[in-house]
Amino acid sequence: MKRLKERYGEVLLFNIGAVVVGLILSACMLLFMKLNPIEVYSSAFLKIVTDKYTMGEVLVKSTPLVFTALAFAFTYKANLFNIGAQGQFYAGSIVAITLSLQLGAVLPTGLTILLVLVGSFLAGGIVGALIGFAKARFNANEFLVSMMSTYVVSAVMDYLLRTVLRETKGEYLQTDPIDAKAYLPSILPGTRVHLGTLLAILTAILVWVLLYKTPLGFRIRAVGSNATAAELAGIRSKRIYVIAFLISGGLAGMAGLTEINGVQHMLLQNFNSSIGSFGIGIAILANGHPLGILFASLLFGFMNIMGTTMGRMPGLNIPSSIIDLIEGIVMICVIISYFLRGYVHNRREKQRLRKAGAQK
Amino acid sequence: MAQPVVEIRHVSKYFAKVIANKDVSFTVHQGEVVALLGENGAGKSTIMKILYGLYGADEGEIRIRGEAVHIKSPKDAMSRGVAMIQQHFSLVPTHTVTENIILGNVHGRIAIKEYEEKVKAIAESYGFDVPVDAKVGDLAVGVQQKVEILKALYLNASILIMDEPTAVLTPQESEHLMGFIREFAAKGNCVIFITHKMKEVMEAADRIVIMRSGVVVGDVRKEDTDEAELARLMIGQELTAPVRTQAPERSEAPAVLELKGVSALGPEKTPVLQQVSFSVHAGEIFGIAGVSGNGQDEVCEVICGSRPVTEGEVVYRGEDITRQTIRQRIDGGIGYVPVDRYRDGMIMDMTLAENILLKSSYGGRWTSRGFISQKRLNDYTSQIIRDHQVKATGPSDLARSLSGGNQQKVVLAREIDVGQHLLIFNQPTRGLDMGAVDRIHHTILQEREKGKAVLLVSTELSEIFEMCDRIAIMYKGRIMGIYRNGELNTQEIGLMMAGVAAGKEGQ
Repeated sequence: MKRLKERYGEVLLFNIGAVVVGLILSACMLLFMKLNPIEVYSSAFLKIVTDKYTMGEVLVKSTPLVFTALAFAFTYKANLFNIGAQGQFYAGSIVAITLSLQLGAVLPTGLTILLVLVGSFLAGGIVGALIGFAKARFNANEFLVSMMSTYVVSAVMDYLLRTVLRETKGEYLQTDPIDAKAYLPSILPGTRVHLGTLLAILTAILVWVLLYKTPLGFRIRAVGSNATAAELAGIRSKRIYVIAFLISGGLAGMAGLTEINGVQHMLLQNFNSSIGSFGIGIAILANGHPLGILFASLLFGFMNIMGTTMGRMPGLNIPSSIIDLIEGIVMICVIISYFLRGYVHNRREKQRLRKAGAQK
Repeated sequence: MAQPVVEIRHVSKYFAKVIANKDVSFTVHQGEVVALLGENGAGKSTIMKILYGLYGADEGEIRIRGEAVHIKSPKDAMSRGVAMIQQHFSLVPTHTVTENIILGNVHGRIAIKEYEEKVKAIAESYGFDVPVDAKVGDLAVGVQQKVEILKALYLNASILIMDEPTAVLTPQESEHLMGFIREFAAKGNCVIFITHKMKEVMEAADRIVIMRSGVVVGDVRKEDTDEAELARLMIGQELTAPVRTQAPERSEAPAVLELKGVSALGPEKTPVLQQVSFSVHAGEIFGIAGVSGNGQDEVCEVICGSRPVTEGEVVYRGEDITRQTIRQRIDGGIGYVPVDRYRDGMIMDMTLAENILLKSSYGGRWTSRGFISQKRLNDYTSQIIRDHQVKATGPSDLARSLSGGNQQKVVLAREIDVGQHLLIFNQPTRGLDMGAVDRIHHTILQEREKGKAVLLVSTELSEIFEMCDRIAIMYKGRIMGIYRNGELNTQEIGLMMAGVAAGKEGQ
């Protein structure tokens, strides 16, 4: 147990180190723009921690990332790669907006939210299950299929936005706003933080319980670690592929609920177009652990808001592309640190053995 | 004394978590055959892989012909005359013998005929009967090994390392190989062969280096030692063989398992089993002897349900189970200890408790209200650790962290529990140290006493003779005959393992 805690400390240390290195590298970019990075960073940081609304925005940005990261982590445990969380999120969003537009004004809030929750989970889940089925039945490469599925779903979304879902004004490629009765209730006054954030935390815990405390989760992990042995133990790995992808897709679909009913209150073209790919990075950063994902998502939510805050600083003219750049650099540093951690760990074990051997 | 050809001085090698070699030193002289004897995991292969450049040493140095060398890769090693024949051959099955031999050492246009002549000449000089233009994939394992040896000879190797060379050979082929080793050494070369078989050591080696837990525990000339001393050095303690009483005639006991004319196909639709028929009765150990790769694995697979049967039927306790799923058969009480623990038997990245759970995650045995009852599972696993003397700190140890023998004990415990009526053991002691082998043999005999039917596949004749009541010999997917233990001697079984039919067919 003690060693486990040491490991956690180590993980934390490396991740923080990686973020710091990432920020230093990004600082160089700011230097090219003849800006003082320390000044920019510290004023952005101060702005976030002192302003309640901005602080809340961090949580708002983190929320959908939790879902897409959980989606990636879930199939990852079955040794499958679901690269299509973006598409499954869109599928969930389409269902969420449709249900909210149709029923939002009629039904009580709680019921609408519940229906949207189930609907968006199923929508994402079905897209996911189809990928799992292609893998199980035709041995298709789930990596490619899931990646391509995103393009299909977003094309479908575009089509719907141009036809049946288009706003009544017919001006932009977006839907009408949903009725305020269908909003996810705000939970922190003075911010945009909504019930979806709590839902994200709850879902992460549920996913953890499912994976580590139930027979189904055990079977999913068993297939992920050694499919042949699992198969010989009577576990049908093909069925597990479909189940894992179904749940994974459903998790990504749930982000549709939080984004449509919690933040945007409408569906628009290309919205939140990078939460799928960030989800992958977050899941890797958290080593696939559902509870680690909560913290990793928070980190990326924070980075995102820090970027936006920097962009809004008066008189500095920091282009928005630099914000994406910073996020990207930090992500790369985090992933490199993951491998570095393994290397350091190995070396330390070796030295320990050498000492033990010398004493003998 | 003349300068040694190979000098290994104080070499140590650490892997994460284990000491593979600690301060290993020994020498090999010209014309000498050195046997590297030790149990699995003693570090024999590691030290040889260091000499061959596959691993780098963490400490110590290696001298070849007096010169300190730094071998960074097999290519490096070969340029100094060191060649190694691995346990798993590194041949391209779709290439011909000659193509395999010249692989990596030719440039530009290849005059294949010339090379074939050259290879043929080398083969003939050692009396190897190898078709130089045949595809390697079509050759028997014993012949493939000769191709590996030819590859070394072609590169003018003068220091030949062989890792468990007889593991895949019939007794006759082994004898032939030992002859070659002697002949090759007599020409002024040296041979280091890794083994854990005492008999080979006494037959072919001049000197024996014994390793245990990564260190050299003995370095003796053959004349000055005997098998008893070697065994003691190897395992560090005396051993008593388990006493087995031959089971009485069991044919009147009910047949638990019956295979009736079972055939099965392998990849590429080649027949791997042809008309296999036999029965295993309650309270009996039925052995299948044969050189590995002659259909024994497939027999186990059709019984446990992981390989479809194309013809014939599998009858278990009077019921045709040919079309049942693996899970149905597990629930029916068939336990299976597969040959490849790493691939089929365990999940190395999971804990011992989770590995115990593996075959019983369905059904309510380990769950309460839909959740895994971790406490019950841990208690049960702790009990297994105690009862089977598994060297582990507790149920939450990762399977990977255990030694092979201890992993096998866990698999065995699980399968004995699953297999209420029938137990299939596919080479259950392969690669294990003698202490663990002994323990596993005792367990198998105990299960027989409980009246379970036991099917034991083994490539070690000594194990077959020691354990089984009846013995079937397999060759190329067929049963060559079924005999009661004691009806045949090693010579006769050896011939049948090589495909020579005996005078009488099995009953």
